[in-house]
Amino acid sequence: MFLNSVILVLQEMIEAALLISVLLVFTNLFQKSWDKSFALHTSWVGLSIAIGVLGAVIYSYYTPQISEMFDYVGQEIFNAGIHLLSLLLVCLFAFIVPSARLGKNVMGRARFAAFCMTGIVMFAIVREGSEIIQYIGGIAGQEGNFTPVVLGGFIGAGIGVSAGVLLFYGLISLSANWSFRISMGLLCLIAGNMGSQTVLLLTQADWLPFTPIAWNSSSALPENSIVGHLMYALVGYEATPSILQVSIYILGIALIVISPLFRKPWQQHSLTGEA
Amino acid sequence: MKQHFLTTLKALGGATVLSFSIAAGAATPEIELIIKDHLFFPAMLEIPAGQKVRVRIINQDSTPEEFESFELNREKLVVGNGQTVVFIGPLEPGEYPFFGEFYPKTAQGVVIVK
Repeated sequence: MFLNSVILVLQEMIEAALLISVLLVFTNLFQKSWDKSFALHTSWVGLSIAIGVLGAVIYSYYTPQISEMFDYVGQEIFNAGIHLLSLLLVCLFAFIVPSARLGKNVMGRARFAAFCMTGIVMFAIVREGSEIIQYIGGIAGQEGNFTPVVLGGFIGAGIGVSAGVLLFYGLISLSANWSFRISMGLLCLIAGNMGSQTVLLLTQADWLPFTPIAWNSSSALPENSIVGHLMYALVGYEATPSILQVSIYILGIALIVISPLFRKPWQQHSLTGEA
Repeated sequence: MKQHFLTTLKALGGATVLSFSIAAGAATPEIELIIKDHLFFPAMLEIPAGQKVRVRIINQDSTPEEFESFELNREKLVVGNGQTVVFIGPLEPGEYPFFGEFYPKTAQGVVIVK
């Protein structure tokens, strides 16, 4: 019970923690490259976590009702909607924040960036958090379960947060250019994964047609291995993804690659100067 | 361990093989999977290859459970004393293990595609 609780909570936490770290690295880069007198505050993180946790509590409270909607595939439809909205926010972030049209309006840029990042993190916490609440809330009340489940949960959460903190400090310790490149790469994978998860959920709900699997790498890298779990949390690795999932994953990556954020036009001077 | 579990299931033979109940008007056959005392009944579901199937999961425990399978690429929460639906397939012939993520030690099963 204890170990299961550690693993389950860690799985959910690590996804949100990695996402927060990558977005904090962007915040850090913006702070460095924009007008130093007006920094993009990191207060959006606290706000997004608070709203996210509240959202997760509400979502898990209504899960029994949501679950019965759309002929018992309500969870898939809601979660797919959350993934799709998150992907939309990632795209807005990548396309609008660095847009030349905002010109020297650093204030507007910072506000819009904070808005997008708050939304992305909030949705991630609603999704992952509600699952943790369902698990802890449903299992911990059983006799003899409380201590191992809650303790395991705290340890899982602790490891997840630590992984996020490590990634953040690891990335900001690099040169601005490398820090940007790696975060950008991770953002591409995050976007691809959001698209792919949307497809998977809608296929599971029978709202999207079945497509054959694109490959089977379960013998080379089983999903049910430590590396497999880590790759799942990091890049949404699946051993047997469908062709449609892979196509949307690639489309998600492509969307970020063609975005102005990828070319970082507004920070050419400050960043390349520092590196 | 998992291998041993599968062999035991196979040894049990066709005792738990399900018959299909085709709902009136619905093209997709539906099968029922019951969760009770953190176990799946039946623990072995047999479905034909190349056929999409609607699996209705009925949780008779008061605790929630999460139906999960890496092989089937499925993950779905079933609330306590509730039910849900998961679509699987069409699949290639083979064995597709599944488990309950909240009680993985006992809640185990396999979909056999023939």
